[in-house]
This record gives sequence, C-alpha cells and structure tokens, in this order.
Amino acid sequence: MAHADERQTDESPSDEDSELEAHLQTRRMMINLGPSHPAMHGTVRMRVELEGETIVRADPEIGFLHRGFQKSCESVTWNQCLPYTDRLNYVSAIMNNLGFLKAVEKLIGLEIPERAQYIRVLSSELHRMHDHLTCVGAIGLELGGFSAFLYAIEARELIMDRVSELTGARLTTTFGRVGGLNRDLPDGWIERVTKTLDKIHELLGEVDGLLTANRIFVDRMRGTGVITTQDALDFGFTGPCLRANGINYDVRKAKPYWVYDRMEFDVPVGQNGDNYDRYLMRMEELKQSEKMIRQAMKQLPQGPIIVDDWRIVLPPKAEVYGSIEGVISHFKLVMEGVPVPPGEIYDSTEAANGELGWYLVSDGSGRPYKVHVRAPGFAILSGVPRMIEGKMLADLIPTFDTINMIGGEVEQ
Amino acid sequence: MSESDGKKPPTPAPTPGGRPAPKHPGFVTVTVDGKELVAKPGANMVDAVKTVGSDIPYYCYHPRLSIAANCRMCLVEVSNSPKLVPACQTPLAEGMVIQTRSPRVQESQRAVMEFLLLNHPVDCSICDQAGECKLQDYYQLHDFRPSRLEGEKILRNKRKVLGPTVVLDQERCILCTRCVRFMTEVAREPQLGVFGRGSAEYIDTFPGKHLDNNYSGNTVDICPVGALLNRDFRFRARTWFLSAAASVCTGCSRGCSIFVDFMGQDTYRYRPRENESINKSWMCDQGRLSYKPLNQHRLAAAMLGRGEDRREATVPEALKAVAEQFKALAGTEGLAVLASPVASNEDLLASLAFARDALGVRSVYVGGRPEGAGDNFLMTPDKNPNRRGLEWVARGLDLTLKPFSELGKAINAGTVKAVYAIGGEVPVDPSLVAQGFARLEYLVLQASNESPITAQAHVLLPAAVHVEDEGTFTNVDGITQRFRKAYPARADVKPHWAWAVALAQEFGFPWTQASARDVFREWGPRVAELATFDWDGAAPPLKTSRGLHPIATGADGRPPGYREFGTPRVRGI
Repeated sequence: MAHADERQTDESPSDEDSELEAHLQTRRMMINLGPSHPAMHGTVRMRVELEGETIVRADPEIGFLHRGFQKSCESVTWNQCLPYTDRLNYVSAIMNNLGFLKAVEKLIGLEIPERAQYIRVLSSELHRMHDHLTCVGAIGLELGGFSAFLYAIEARELIMDRVSELTGARLTTTFGRVGGLNRDLPDGWIERVTKTLDKIHELLGEVDGLLTANRIFVDRMRGTGVITTQDALDFGFTGPCLRANGINYDVRKAKPYWVYDRMEFDVPVGQNGDNYDRYLMRMEELKQSEKMIRQAMKQLPQGPIIVDDWRIVLPPKAEVYGSIEGVISHFKLVMEGVPVPPGEIYDSTEAANGELGWYLVSDGSGRPYKVHVRAPGFAILSGVPRMIEGKMLADLIPTFDTINMIGGEVEQ
Repeated sequence: MSESDGKKPPTPAPTPGGRPAPKHPGFVTVTVDGKELVAKPGANMVDAVKTVGSDIPYYCYHPRLSIAANCRMCLVEVSNSPKLVPACQTPLAEGMVIQTRSPRVQESQRAVMEFLLLNHPVDCSICDQAGECKLQDYYQLHDFRPSRLEGEKILRNKRKVLGPTVVLDQERCILCTRCVRFMTEVAREPQLGVFGRGSAEYIDTFPGKHLDNNYSGNTVDICPVGALLNRDFRFRARTWFLSAAASVCTGCSRGCSIFVDFMGQDTYRYRPRENESINKSWMCDQGRLSYKPLNQHRLAAAMLGRGEDRREATVPEALKAVAEQFKALAGTEGLAVLASPVASNEDLLASLAFARDALGVRSVYVGGRPEGAGDNFLMTPDKNPNRRGLEWVARGLDLTLKPFSELGKAINAGTVKAVYAIGGEVPVDPSLVAQGFARLEYLVLQASNESPITAQAHVLLPAAVHVEDEGTFTNVDGITQRFRKAYPARADVKPHWAWAVALAQEFGFPWTQASARDVFREWGPRVAELATFDWDGAAPPLKTSRGLHPIATGADGRPPGYREFGTPRVRGI
C-alpha cells in the first residue's frame, strides 16, 4: 500500500498551533505501489516519485515472480517444458503451450495434422477471450465499476469450465504435445462451447453497456497513458497495445500459422495510443475471437490429432504394454526426450498481449540447450515510465490495467 | 553403384596392375557420404568413417575381437559391389564410394531391426540393460515403427545360469556371438558356444560345463543387449540413475582402468575402462567384485580407547590424543610406522612425510593384503594396488622398508610399544595380528573397514577409500594412473593424507595441504619416479560413456542423487 516514505515534520510541535503553522511539503514523496497491491496484477512493485500528485519518476521493479524458467527448461525434456510454459502468462496458458510447441515443431520441421491445427486455433482463441475478459473486467473494477467486473468474470468462468473439460485443468493447462495434441475434444464439447459463446456474447453486451460509453470511465481512460507511435515501436510494443497506436501488426495476419489463413476475422486498429483505445482493442478482439471460434468449430475436420511418428510421439498404450517396439519408443521418449535436431530457431505466435516469441537452441539431445521466451509484456512494461511520467498518480492505475502486464511471463 | 547419387571422386590414372594409384601414397583414400576419408591401409570401415562424422550402427563387431559379420546391422552401400556389404568386414579400397545413409541402407537397417525385435520379449522395464541397450538406441534411430508380428513370440530359457558371474536370458539374445568369440580369443577358454540351427539357435555352455572363467564378466560388458547379465549387479540399480567416475581397480597390482558406477554414496559396480597399455577393454571377475568393501563394514567415526573404554570421539579430540602420546614417543625405538600399499601415492606421500618429520622414524613396515592367485592375463598375485608406489615414495623420502614379519617380532620382543598404522590391511591372518597388537601400549590406526585389528586400536581414525578422493596408483609395471573422485566420504571419514596433514598441524607443523593435488605438488617432486608425472594432465576425462546420462552434477560437486541426510530416494527403483 502507498505510504509516505519520509514525512517532514517541523522541530518540536509542542503547542497546538504549530501544526497550522507548519510549512507545506516541499520535498518529493516516494511511494511504493506494490508489490502487494490489488491494482498491481501479479506481484510487481512500482516505485513512484511524486511531486504533489504528479508522477516525476516511475520505476517498475520486477522479479518477485522469477522462477528460473529458462534454466528449468534446460534440465528437462522438450515436452516437460510445457508445465513451465503454463506459468508464463497464466491467464492464457494454452497460448504459451501451443506457441512453444509450434516453435519446437518448426525446429524439427514437422507438419501437424489438420484437426490438431484447428483445435489449436480454437483453444487459443478461447484463451484469448479469457485473457481479454480478465483485463477488461479488472479495468472496470479498479476504476470503481464492480458490476462490469462481475459480468466479465462470469464470462471468464464459463471459459474456464470449457477449458477444464478440454484439458483437465482450469489454469495450468499443459495442453498439446510436440507433434499435435495430447487429447481430442470431449463429447458434446462443441455444443457446450456454442452455448457458452452465446452467453458470453450477452455478458459482453452488459460490460460494453456499462463501460464503453460511461462518462466516468471514458474520462479516466481517454487521453491517459498515451504513448506515441514511435515510442511504442521503439519499446517493442506488440499486440493490442501497439495496434491501439494505429499500427496494423498481428502475427496471425502477418505470418499466418496453423489455419488462421482460413479464418475470416478483422484486426482492430486504434489511433490514439491511449488507455481507451487499448480497452477498445480488447473489446473488439473479444468479438473477433468469438467469430473465429465459431468458424473453427464449423470447419473442424475429422482425423488424427497428433502425428504418427514414434520418434516424436509416445506410442499408443496398448503397444507400450504389448510390444517391444512400443516399450522401447516409450522408454526413449520418456527418458531422453524428443530428439530435436541440432539448430536454433526464432518463432512467434500472436498471444493475447502481443507477439510471444521463442528462441530455441537444440544440441540434438532430448533436452533444450536454451529456451528464451520473448514475453510481450516485458517490452510493454518497460514503456510504462514513458507513458506515465509527468502525469497524475491516478492515471497509473488504468494505464497499468490496459497494458495488462502479467508477472508470470515478464519475470519468468 | 549405378543408382548411387554420391559424388564420385576423380578417378586416378590406373596403374599397370589395373588398380588405381593411391591419391595419398601410403594411405587409402575413399569417399564417405560425400566426404573424403584418408585412412591407413587395413583400417576397419566402421571405425574409419567415424573420423569424418559418419556413424555405422553395429552389434557383432568389436574392435578387439575377430570379425563375424553376422548381425547385418552395418550393411552399407559401396561403389565396388552391387549388393550391400557389411562395413565391419569390407576392406577399404582406393577410390571406393561409401554411403552410410542412402535410402537402400536405411531400409536395410530398418529391416534388420524389425527382425531382431520380432521375437524379443517385452522386457525393457525389468531389464538391466535398459538405458545402455543398443537395441533401444538403434530401434529409435533406424526403425521406429510398430511390430508386424502375427502370432506368438518364440519362447526360450529366460534365466539360464551360466556360471558364478553370468546369467543368460536366451530370449533377449540376438546371437551376435561376441561372447563366444571373447571366450575363445581373449579369455582363451572356449566355454560358450552356439547351439541349434536357424531360428532355434541359442548361446549356451557345453553340457555339464559352467562359464566359470575369471574373465567371464566381460561377456556381460560386450553383450550389446540384455542377454548376458552380471549376477552381482542384476536388479540392483537402474543404469540411468548411476553416475560413472573414471577410476582404477584396487583388486590387484595390475591396476586395471575402470569406471566406478555409483549412486549417492554407494558404489554399485566396476566396469572396465579402455586402456591400451594396461587392460585393453577387459578386467577380471575378482576385480569386479572388489568394490564390495567400499560399501560394507565401513568405519564412520573416530574412536578412542580399547575394549570397554572404547567411545566415539570428535576429530579434534582424537587428533589431540594422538599428538599427546606421539610427541613423547617421537624419535624413540618404541614407535613404529606401518604403511599399507593399498593407500594411494598421495596418501603415502603425506603420511610418510609426517612419519619421518614428526614421528622421527627412519624405516617403515609394509602391511597390505596377503598374496593370492594370479594368472597369465591380467590378474597378479600381489593383491595390493600400489606396492610399487610405496617403494618409490619410501625411497624418495629416505625411508627404508621392512617386511611385516619383522614388526611382529619387534612387538613380541617388546622393542616396539606403539604403532602408527596407515591402512588396516595386513598380509597374514588379521586375528593373529590382532593378538600381537594387543600387546601394544598404543596403536593409532587409520583404517577404512572394520576388522579384528581395528578392535585393538587405541585411536581409530576412519579412512576414505580411493573412490572417495582423487589420487594416483602405480601398478606392477610402474605405470602411474590418476583416478577421479566419485562421491564425497561420509561424516568424519578422511583420506590418509588428510589425517596426516591434520596430525602434523596438531604437532605444530605449518602444513596447509587441502587436497590430494596439493599433497602431490608438495612431496611428489621429491620422488624421482613421480617428479615428472603430470598430475593434472593425466586425469581421465570427465565425460564418460555414450547413451543416457544423468542430469549434470551440481556446481557444488555433489553427485546426482546425493542427499545430505539419508540415502537417495531413488534407491531400489
């Protein structure tokens, strides 16, 4: 919680009048926003230097959620990295899982089955909605609109139910495997998702009605947290935060992967680069994602969900228990990992907050030699001082909300 | 080959005899997977192609055995034959174009793997070889397809005990005959043979005979699959949990190079390590079992007092007690030093330097294990790994060596009243020695294992064994070998050199040696034979074998699986 770092007191406030005669504060006030502050999502600490209510200097301090992601990955096999990727952007874990897998598959030079590609698109978009709903709801909450938050969270909860049906987990999904997916869609899941989307559509209308044209909300959002287009590019912004500046860059359109080129969707682009535009980007992307999920469910082909190659994918259990070929392959894959050929690669997907990039190095063993992740939130967080210095303290809250910094991926 | 797509090298002008002139005179020049390979005439193709980065898989080929060419795994495509040829058997010819990864070769490798696994039992989960099995390696590299077997697998004897060391699982055998050839050609006692014909073939001993040669354990090492298994090691550990350290066998004065396979602070087995000048690729069965004292009946703490007065003591307490007694006795006839040729050169350097400088002795009695059987291959009658080293070190430090029997006489005569013993091994029956030692007024014993003699010590200092520290041994031929540390010693257990340095400090000497390396640098140059020994350079490489490796040891040097308290949880899996 914010508290005064130093409070200047005049010497000897002995008589009652002295308080009235005290001089006004002339020194800058240093306050800590976080690390445990409801508005500092995750656990980030912002050291803010105040001149009155104006922020002179803001210094985000990260590392409270550092888990040694890269080093952990180096000592496990490629597939065993997946649970670590869950914990990057834990609000949209599936997109981390699948982004990582896509990079590994590119390093192997592997084409995954069509059905797996569709399910990957479908589940990614579901989690994009999940991420954006959390962000939008939190903005409402922290600016005083509790109702909007409840509607958004109700919608998010529905997605969590569908995700847990699909992956077995609400949050840490560990979905997919190198070469495809570890499980197919459950029975009746598509109908349930359709119903869920209908409900979310309704709830989103409520959120939209409560926030988008709300005078108080707009006053707090419009023109605050502005960043210039050049600065946004220089800092390496991607995703909704960059598109709010009018730059039309979306990895799904720029370098289409999986079956995104078969999806009909628009990429919303803003113009002002302020909090309100970033909010609008997310509201619109929610609608586009919903559209994409419906398309993917309609086009979803039948077929295998994972490649049939025992060098990469565990054999069916009947083969493992019943044939020496199966048990050898299983043993080698579990003990040594997928033999990714030596080499290095950079690959990226469009995650909820922007370009999620992977720089992978393999030395030919079953374990990664190096796993570097370009978390979109890291670049965006580093731009926050530029957006907020010289502005009011109160603007920090919506700004921090709309950049949607996620501690897990920024601090790794 | 007409359909081969490899680049042909420029054809040299033919000589009158019809053969092409060598491109590099004195060598054979061939092309392997598009790369030029210059090899010595007579080089084996399987080994030679490795130098240009190609890898030919094989089961039956072994560089130290005759060529059988029966596994068919090493079939490659060569320009001077229409059919695929076995690489292990085909001589390199000038201008030959070899393809090790062409589609034809790959299909052949796949087919061989499919046949080898056709009747193989589903055993990986209970097989000791899992993790270091060539069937597993090559299946994943060259086959990776489901079985097409229809019907039942052929059943054979799954646990045929061949002898005291080896048990055979005939179902897992791929009949590469490496073991048969080893027994005939290396051990020179043909105890194994191939029986039956065709698909009913199996490896066995002759009726009524056993595989009881002292070198039979090597058949387990060279068996590329899990057919031949060591009865001592079987079902005791999964190989991927074991780490290996390059070490030296201490079973006899041959000093075979070995790997110590360990987990936590226990040794699980010895494996021979390639050493052209000593043991080639082999070691004897007796040496193989000589790891047992490293784990059993070990002394863990310093002890003070004899008989009913015996109690556990802290290290400073024990050192103080030794110094008090020995300061009074130093330089007198009544104090004798007993050194064991089981200790390493570093142990002896520091201990004998301490004996000479602090205890003032001029001669040292030689202990050590009693003589045993030897043979005409590797095993020697002298069962002490470092007798030559002890002789060298004593000479370097101007100490004369006296036989153990004289110590017994001196004790009986009453001239020797106190003994400082480096190592608890004695060349005669330990119970008899213990009776003699019972007469001593003061016995300080540095020993690693419990014995009747340790019961007679007034001060008992627990000593480390060779796998718990690094150092050198000098074998019977005067070859000095470095060995590496496998795992740290428990609790108060220290190597002899560390006890010697600690005692010298207690005596007031400014000794500061903190490692075996320090000890060697201090006293090694005084020994003429060791003065030129490159201690650091002679260290065997840390990287050991191919295949599965445990996760790297932590930066603090603790072995994988090592736990500060208690045994590792992985034991027994």
